[in-house]
Amino acid sequence: MKLEKTRFGRIEIKDDAVLEFGEGLIGLPGKRWALLSHADSSAFMWLQSVDHPPTAVPVTLPGLFFSDYEVSLSDADAELLGIERADQAEVFCVVRAAERIEDFTINLRGPIVVHGESRRGRQIINELAGYSARQPLFRNVEMAQVKPASPAAPMAATGI
Amino acid sequence: MLVITRRPGQQLLIGEDVTVTVLEVSGASVRIGIEAPSDVRIFRHELWLEVKHENQAAAATPPDRLRLTTQEEITEQCL
Repeated sequence: MKLEKTRFGRIEIKDDAVLEFGEGLIGLPGKRWALLSHADSSAFMWLQSVDHPPTAVPVTLPGLFFSDYEVSLSDADAELLGIERADQAEVFCVVRAAERIEDFTINLRGPIVVHGESRRGRQIINELAGYSARQPLFRNVEMAQVKPASPAAPMAATGI
Repeated sequence: MLVITRRPGQQLLIGEDVTVTVLEVSGASVRIGIEAPSDVRIFRHELWLEVKHENQAAAATPPDRLRLTTQEEITEQCL
């Protein structure tokens, strides 16, 4: 399907790339979303609203940055998503992409849990203590080593 | 806002499916029990608000801001 008037202009989304969020994302419009990625496999993706094209949020895989990140999924949430085993869950977190890379933060408090097979997702409040909604992402990285990537390649809906 | 005073052990019914029980009052805290169908979500309000703010701030990100290093380079440096 084609989405017009997104922040990236007009984009093409495969129908089977659409994820259903029964309650949407907290505070944002729309129940259907799709993951968009750059063709050069950047760690960051956009979660694009299918129902409300001007809306999109940057997301990333928290495990890339925090290898011991844990999410506590309630039985009700697991059942709703059709998740029976931990390895069926894919977890994304929303990123605040600041102007300076040092100021990027990730929301570890409100992860987005998705079940690739059922195409269902839900943003939950992670009850495990100590996780911040504004956790700095690049605190441990030597800034001199982080290079800008090549200019943005065309957006493509990614299969998960 | 509807304001009601309850004592420990007393309950409130919200709609017909949500029951709130005041369990215990101790100092400045009150312990509250909530029975609701599993499809009714219950949040600590301040956490929900925090996530909402972060979502909305993230949704305001200029589309050209994510020009970053590749996944391979990030995993080397951060893990």
